[in-house]
Amino acid sequence: MSRLFIDVGSTYFKVSQNDSIGQYFRDFNKNIFDDLSGRCGDILSQYTKEDVYICSSANGGLSTLIIGLTNSYSLKYAINIAFNSGINIIDTVLYPKIQRETPPLEMIDVVIIVGGIDGVERVFDERLLRYLEAAHYQNIVYVGSSSDRAFLEQNIENIVILENIISPKLKIQEEALKTYLTDLYQADIVGKEDIKQLYAITANQIFSTPYIVNRALPQVSNILDVADPFIVIDIGGATTDIHYSRDLVEDNIVSQSGYDRLVFKKLGVYKSRESLVHTAKSNEFVFELLEHLNVTENILEEQSEKATRILMQLSIFLVLYKVSKHHAAYIELNLETLNSIVLTGGITKVLSDEEAEEIILFFYKKILRFHRAPTIILDRAYEIWTYGIKE
Amino acid sequence: MKVVIGVVGNDVHVVANRLIDISLEERGFEVFNLGVNTYLEEFMDAVIETDADVLLISSLNGEAEGWCRDLRILKSQYDFKNVTFMIGGNLGVGEMDPQLLVPKFEAYGFDLVFHQIDLNVGLDRLEAFLEARA
Repeated sequence: MSRLFIDVGSTYFKVSQNDSIGQYFRDFNKNIFDDLSGRCGDILSQYTKEDVYICSSANGGLSTLIIGLTNSYSLKYAINIAFNSGINIIDTVLYPKIQRETPPLEMIDVVIIVGGIDGVERVFDERLLRYLEAAHYQNIVYVGSSSDRAFLEQNIENIVILENIISPKLKIQEEALKTYLTDLYQADIVGKEDIKQLYAITANQIFSTPYIVNRALPQVSNILDVADPFIVIDIGGATTDIHYSRDLVEDNIVSQSGYDRLVFKKLGVYKSRESLVHTAKSNEFVFELLEHLNVTENILEEQSEKATRILMQLSIFLVLYKVSKHHAAYIELNLETLNSIVLTGGITKVLSDEEAEEIILFFYKKILRFHRAPTIILDRAYEIWTYGIKE
Repeated sequence: MKVVIGVVGNDVHVVANRLIDISLEERGFEVFNLGVNTYLEEFMDAVIETDADVLLISSLNGEAEGWCRDLRILKSQYDFKNVTFMIGGNLGVGEMDPQLLVPKFEAYGFDLVFHQIDLNVGLDRLEAFLEARA
C-alpha cells in the first residue's frame, strides 16, 4: 500500500501520493481539518491512518529571549542552537549589563539562560530575578553552570534545567537544548487546536515542515541538478527558511549535524507580509533594489500580483542579506563559495526563473561585489519536502 | 588553578602554544587552551566563563602590540577580581627596544610581561607572583 504525504502550509496544502503532488489553496474561513477533508476527502478515504504522514508550517515558529554571560561563548552557542532549532530570537541580553536592559514587551515563548562551565559558582544573582519579573514568557530553560541550578530552581517557577551547553573545555554541547527546543516547537505546532484535529486522519507524529525539509537535504542532489555547496531557501506564506550545510559556516563551532536551518518567522509574503515590508523598508539597500526592479516603494503597499512578485524577490534578497557577512545578528554563511541556490515553497509558483536570477545576481553584485551568481534551481514541483517526510 | 591560554591575533604558532599547555599542566594548572588566532575579547570571555585565575596570552609574530591595546578597557567592563594577566613571547615587530616593550604592555594592563624570556623562567615567575598575591 502506498503512503500519503501532506504538508499544511499557511497558504496551501500540498498532498503527495504515488509521486504526484497536488496543491490546494487554503480556505481561511474553515479550520484546517474541515478544509483538507473538503478538498481531499476522496484521497484521504483511500488511506489508513497509519499510511498518512503530515508536516506543518502553518504556525510560524517560536520566539526566544537569550540571557548569556559572554558574547563569545554563552550567547554565541545559545544563538546557534536556537536558530538551528527553528526558533526566532527576539532579543539577547549580555548578563553583566542586564541592569541596563529593558525586557521585551511582547510575550516570549521561551527564555534561555546560560553562563559558565560546570563548577563555576554564583554566575547569576538577584539581578536576573528582577529582570525576569518584568518579562513576559511562557517557558524558561537553564543550560548554564551546574553550580547555579539550585539557586535558579528555588527562585524561578517552572524553570527547566538541562545539561550545560558549554562543555568543561568550552566547546558547544548542543543536543539537550536542541532537543528541548525542537520538542517545544513540535509541541507548539501539535498543541494548536487546528493541528490536533489532524490526528483524526493520521496515526503518525506531525512534524514541522522546516525539520522535514532539512531532513531531505542529503538527498537534494539526487532530485535536482545541484552542485555542492548549495543552500535551499524555502519562501512560504508565513516564514522564510534557509537550509544549509555546516561546511558553509566559519564559526569554529564543532557540531555533529551536517545540515542546519534558520527559520525567519517574519519574512513570509502572505501571513507575515506586514513585517516583511517593515524589514524591507529598514534595509539600506532596498530602495536601490526597487529602483533596479523599476518600481517605487509604493509597490510595497499595493495588493496586486506584481506587488507579491516584488515582495518575493525582496524575501530572497533579505534572507541572503541576513546570513551574509554584512549582518552580524545571524549565522554567517560563506555565500561566496556557493555553487547552487535552490528555491522552494510558494515562491516557485509565482516567480519566473529570470526574476529569481535577477534578484540573486543583484545581491551578489551589490552586496558581495561578485560578477557572477550561483546557479539558481527552482523546485517547481515542490517535492523536496516529500523526500524528507519519506525518511 | 585555572589558566586560559592561547595565541592572540593572526598568529598560528601552534607548537609553542602546545608547549605552554603541557608545561602548565605539568605544574598542576587546569588549562583552557583557546588555540591560535584568538581575539582579545574571546580570551576575556573565556576567563569569565571558566572563572579562571590566570590569563596567559602568547604572541610569536609580534602582533600582540596591536591586538592587546584594549585590555584595560575590557578589564573595566567586568569584575575580574583576582585574575592575573600575563603575556609572553616575541612581543615586538622589527627592531624593538626590550626596555620599552615591557612598560608598554604593563600600561595595557598586564601584570606580568615576558619578552623573549625562556618559558620555564616565565612560568616560575608566574608561580612566584601567584604565591605572593595569595
